[in-house]
Amino acid sequence: MTDGGIVTAVDGVSFDLHQGESLGIVGESGSGKSVTALSLLRLVPDPGRVVGGKVLFKNQDLLQLTDDEIREVRGRDISMIFQDPQSSLNPVLRTGFQIDEAMLAHGRPKAEAHARTVDLLKQVRIPAAESRVKDFPHQLSGGMRQRAMIAMGLSNAPQILIADEPTTALDVTVQAQILELLGDLNRELGAAVIMITHNMGVVAGLCTRVIVMYAGQIVEQGTVEQIFANPQHPYTWSLLRSMPRVDAVRHERLRSIEGIAPDLLHPPAGCRFHPRCPFRIEKCYTDEPVLEEHGPDNLAACWVTMDRARKEMGADDLVDIRPGAGSGVHKGQVK
Amino acid sequence: MATATTTAQVSEAEILPEQQTLWSDAWRRLKRNRLALVATIYLVFLIVVALVALVYTPYRMSAVGIAPTYAPPSAAHWFGADSIGRDVLSRLMVGAQVSLIVGVGTQLLVIAVGVPIGLLAGYYRGWLDSVLTFIINVFYGIPDLLVAMIMVFLLGPSLTNIIVAIVVTRWMDMARLMRGQTMSLREREFIEAARASGAKPARILFGHIFPNALGPIIVQATFGVPAAILFEAFLSFLGVGVQPPTPSWGSMASDGISALEYAPHIVLVPSIALSLTLLAFNFLGDGLRDALDPRQKR
Repeated sequence: MTDGGIVTAVDGVSFDLHQGESLGIVGESGSGKSVTALSLLRLVPDPGRVVGGKVLFKNQDLLQLTDDEIREVRGRDISMIFQDPQSSLNPVLRTGFQIDEAMLAHGRPKAEAHARTVDLLKQVRIPAAESRVKDFPHQLSGGMRQRAMIAMGLSNAPQILIADEPTTALDVTVQAQILELLGDLNRELGAAVIMITHNMGVVAGLCTRVIVMYAGQIVEQGTVEQIFANPQHPYTWSLLRSMPRVDAVRHERLRSIEGIAPDLLHPPAGCRFHPRCPFRIEKCYTDEPVLEEHGPDNLAACWVTMDRARKEMGADDLVDIRPGAGSGVHKGQVK
Repeated sequence: MATATTTAQVSEAEILPEQQTLWSDAWRRLKRNRLALVATIYLVFLIVVALVALVYTPYRMSAVGIAPTYAPPSAAHWFGADSIGRDVLSRLMVGAQVSLIVGVGTQLLVIAVGVPIGLLAGYYRGWLDSVLTFIINVFYGIPDLLVAMIMVFLLGPSLTNIIVAIVVTRWMDMARLMRGQTMSLREREFIEAARASGAKPARILFGHIFPNALGPIIVQATFGVPAAILFEAFLSFLGVGVQPPTPSWGSMASDGISALEYAPHIVLVPSIALSLTLLAFNFLGDGLRDALDPRQKR
């Protein structure tokens, strides 16, 4: 809800998460990734609300729980890591104390929690963990702070760890370390990880399954291999094309996706991606596509799909992806 | 794999900031502020005097006829004697106790009342905020002198009642400050993170938001102290404050006012002590405000 009316930030998003799995949710800014994650724990900030749907966790609908019950789930069964470690630790409390607190909130005895904090900091590979527990957040580097946040997230051995762009605010070298750490922990502890990111590279390195979101809806879903090798939704395809690549032809321009993400106050009719889609057909303007199976373990919401775009519209040779430029562009014409 | 190990070592060898907390930082900056430092020294001296007065005063503060009435300052009686021959210095020392108890006591109670109300209003917003804000505004509309006098008339003029009367009329600024602080702090990511880790509301309010607002609260309370001291002196001057034989700086000034022409020291001594104390608290408050301002990192 904004001054301009009700924004449906996330609409009809439905997915499963299996035990120990690592799932990536990808999309541009404003595509509803974070709101999706926050609504799982009923943390959508005011004045936002979850108006319908279900969040089933161990056969229990989290949206039906009382405030006290959901509080028990938060941080114990499902915990969350935020984007900016700079601001997600309380600046006036000692780092170790904050991790202790996450455990005390779920009834662990004080002495045990305190001992476990040091272990956790070691587990997230913070050097000199024994002395770091007494540090204030500003005495830690950005990477260490994010490690401390991860330690806090893991403190109650949750079954699901939601990481909301956990590396966006960090240096590239530190990003790699944090991702590696999350991957290790996912394997070692068997906690399922939901990785929210706008970075396809992060997904490639960490996740086994990917959900691609656009304008508050899921447009494609599949295994990481399938999504990278053979994306079916033109948006996924454009996202992958717009990734900077080391092996790209030199002097080639970076390919962006033309246009901007739609205003969710007035989402476009038909397919929400059609104004920016190079492969749109008439049907896209009027009819909203639904997720359909386009291969083993692959769902995409598109009337055209990339298989057809490749065959009929010469998508592989396409350089100019301005809206509508797709049809009729063939090999040889583009130089 | 080799590269990963190298980068990990870089972060280990990273240079760390000096072991400094908010408070040691603030103290360092406060010391650099001359006025605030002088004010602090004066206030420490005043506290020592008040403590000494618990066990020792040059003369008994209520002993009548120790010196000639209206005796001017002399070696035996540094600040002279009052209209019935009591030692002014001894009474001034006991008066310092009264002023400090009123000043500090009211502010502690103001914090105890204002902070929870501000926290609740700022955190929960909605109807609770509307109700609490309405109550705050109603209290602002009540003339404080009137309330204080009515309360003292009803409950009797004791030190406790004066403190209660001041708290009842002065808690709103603290509540308002805390409400504003809470409203901005609750949007910070670490509060969201605390909620996501399952922290209970009480824990978030008092364990996370309150300590982050401590700086502004202390500054506000420091400015509240002189206001309360002045209000007590004012009430005592009017005769509805601390009752004899306990001296208050206000009642001492009031006692001497009729002899202002030929024995001005009786009025001047408590008045100057009062002014210096108010000045010192204001300078200290100013210094604390600068020292605790995180934006001013010097």
